[in-house]
Order: sequence, then C-alpha cells, then structure tokens
Amino acid sequence: MDDLQFRRSIYADPKTTDKDVRAAQQADPGKRKFAQDIEKLDQDILDALKVPVPEDLYDKLILRQTMSSHQQQKKKARIQLAMAASVAFVLGLTLNFMQFSSAYTNLGDYALAHVYHEAEYFSNQEAASVSLASLNQKMASFDGSFSTTMGELIAAEFCRFDSMKSLHLVFQGLNSPVNVFIIPKNKDLTFSADFSDSKLRGKSMAFDDADIIVVGDKYESLEKWQENINRNVQWST
Amino acid sequence: MATKQKRYEALVKALHGDLFRYAYWLCHDKSIAEDLVQETFLRAWRALDSLKDEKAAKSWLITILRRENARRFERKRFDMSEYEEASITDTISVGTEQELENHWLREKIAQLPEEYREPLVLQVLGGFSGEEIADMLSLNKNTVMTRLFRARNQLKDALDNEPLMRGQHNG
Repeated sequence: MDDLQFRRSIYADPKTTDKDVRAAQQADPGKRKFAQDIEKLDQDILDALKVPVPEDLYDKLILRQTMSSHQQQKKKARIQLAMAASVAFVLGLTLNFMQFSSAYTNLGDYALAHVYHEAEYFSNQEAASVSLASLNQKMASFDGSFSTTMGELIAAEFCRFDSMKSLHLVFQGLNSPVNVFIIPKNKDLTFSADFSDSKLRGKSMAFDDADIIVVGDKYESLEKWQENINRNVQWST
Repeated sequence: MATKQKRYEALVKALHGDLFRYAYWLCHDKSIAEDLVQETFLRAWRALDSLKDEKAAKSWLITILRRENARRFERKRFDMSEYEEASITDTISVGTEQELENHWLREKIAQLPEEYREPLVLQVLGGFSGEEIADMLSLNKNTVMTRLFRARNQLKDALDNEPLMRGQHNG
C-alpha cells in the first residue's frame, strides 16, 4: 500500500480495521508514527467536540415531556368529557321526545284514551258544579266563550292534551258523561272528524283557533252536542 | 405508560449529551441547540412506539434532529446569515492547557465547511461507521470517506501551520 493511500485511509478513519491498512502500518515505522499522530489528533477532536452540555438539560427534557403528555391527557379528558356530554344530551333529547311526543297519531285515538283515563273521576250522577262565568274564564285562554253552559256541566278543567294545554269539559249525558275537549291547533295529531271504539264515539269540529271534540257513548247524539256547541261558542279573534 | 416513560427517561439520560453536542455543531449556538434537542426529544416521545431497536436510537434521534434543524431554516430564512466567528467560541473560562487546546481546535472545527464537519462529528462523537453516516446524510460511502479525509487533513494542516499561535496560548 502506497503512502498516499495509507494516509487517505487513516485520515478518513483512524480507527479503521482494514487489514491492508493495519498490515502496512505494522511494516513501516513512518506509517506507524503517522497513524499515532492522527489518533492523537482524533482524541483532541473528540475533546474539542465535547462542548459542555447544560447541566439542567436532562431535567428540562423530562419536564417538557411530562408537561406535554399532561396536556395530551387533559386534551383526552376534554374529549371524553365532551363525548359523555354528547351522550347525555342525546339521551336527554330522546327522553324528552319520548315523553312529550305524540304516542297517538290522531285526535280521536287520543281523545278516547283521555276519556278512559279519567272516566273513574266522573260520575254521570254528579250535579253540575261549574258556572258559565268560570267556564268562560277558562275559555278565555282559547280566545273563545260560550253563551250558555250547554247542559249540566260537571267539570271544566285544564289538562294536558298531548302536552298541549287544553280544556276538558265533562257534561252529564244520557247514560254516561259526555266529554268535550277544546284543544289548540296541533300539527302532530291528524284531525279525525269521526272516531269510535266499542263503547264510545267521538266527533271533531275544526274552528280557526281550536278544535272541539265531543266524546260520548252510543246513545248520545253527538250531532246534537255539536250543534249545541256551534250555536253557543263565540271566538273573539 | 409507565414503561414508555421509563424507556424515554433512559433514552434522554443516555443520549441527550451527544445529541446536544451534535446540535451545537450543526447550529453553533447553545440556546438554539437546546431548543433543537428539546423539539427532537418531544417528537421522539410522541413517536417512541415506532422505535423498535434501542441500538438504532441514536441515529433515529439524529435523523429527527437534522429534520428539525432543516425546518428551522424553512421557518426563518433571515436567520441564515453567516454566524459571527466570535459567537462560536464558548464562554467558559479557559484555564488548563487542555482547555486552551480544545478552544483552539473548536474554532478550527467550526471553520470547516459544513459538509466536512458533519460527517466528522458523526464519526468521532457519534461513533458511527462510514456506511451509517452515508445512510444518515443520504450520501454514498465514498463521498463520506473523502469528506472525512479532507476534514482531518485540513485540521492537521491547521495544527501544523500554527505553532506560534498555539505557543502563545500555551505560554
């Protein structure tokens, strides 16, 4: 191996394990000297390269990482919280929807259910206990009034008719009470003019401001009741 | 999580010194070097699961650091002005003869062209082989060996040609 190539090899890598280079080094004292010089130079370079490392760097690095993963965890926690909140929100909405949305799709079914539900509270033998004034006071919230009580009015109560405030009138009928509902216009329930089941029948009338439903048993002439109502009701708007 | 943390701490402990020094020789500025090392380890933490072989950790970190350094130039083009020579000399008080020598040599290393200095730092400080350096710098091995040869050759020449200067330091 010539001197130039030897020097190039040593310069490029003083710690070379190349056999030819090492053999040449063994054979020639001049080359050995050169190799030692460069090895010394390399040690000096290494010492020079080892600039002092800031003492607190290690701690800073650990701290920075801890902060960063803490932030990530906080972010994760926020996401989890947000997800939990969304689930709760949807649950709430669903519950709300189920509670207040129509279980019945038309006025008739609902009116019948309503009557059956409250049937036990009213007896046909009860005396009329509601005055025209108090009836009309209640009717006022539907912008309407009656000129007479149209019969023996047992009860007149506001009630929830499919989550809408409506007026429930109970009259003495021939055999069983006659129920009249005054309800605001509702988009969710389809209007059913006539409806019935095995015991009860019902008829609905649509006015501009409200619907009026009459429910009674088979013996009751609902047409008469409708006529009667029609004659006596006035709407203020 | 705990094991990842332990792995990370071990990695930082073992390699932060070398990485800082490497960063310093890339950018010639202690605080920038510190920032680079911090960014590098932060990225390393996030990607720690992708590091399968602990032996490859050092070259993996250096690769990240070089990328971070390149990003620094993308962000701040104005910072690319040549560094002042005064700024590369460190501020520690030089007392012993060895430190004086280091100081002198440091200046010479800093004056080497970037393309010579980087392989030299990787070889001497990082202990990487010619192949590994070629791999990290995306060069072929012959180019790396030539640059290493030139780097040392220049340093040796400088050393041989400035006996007076060094005498003054020593005296």
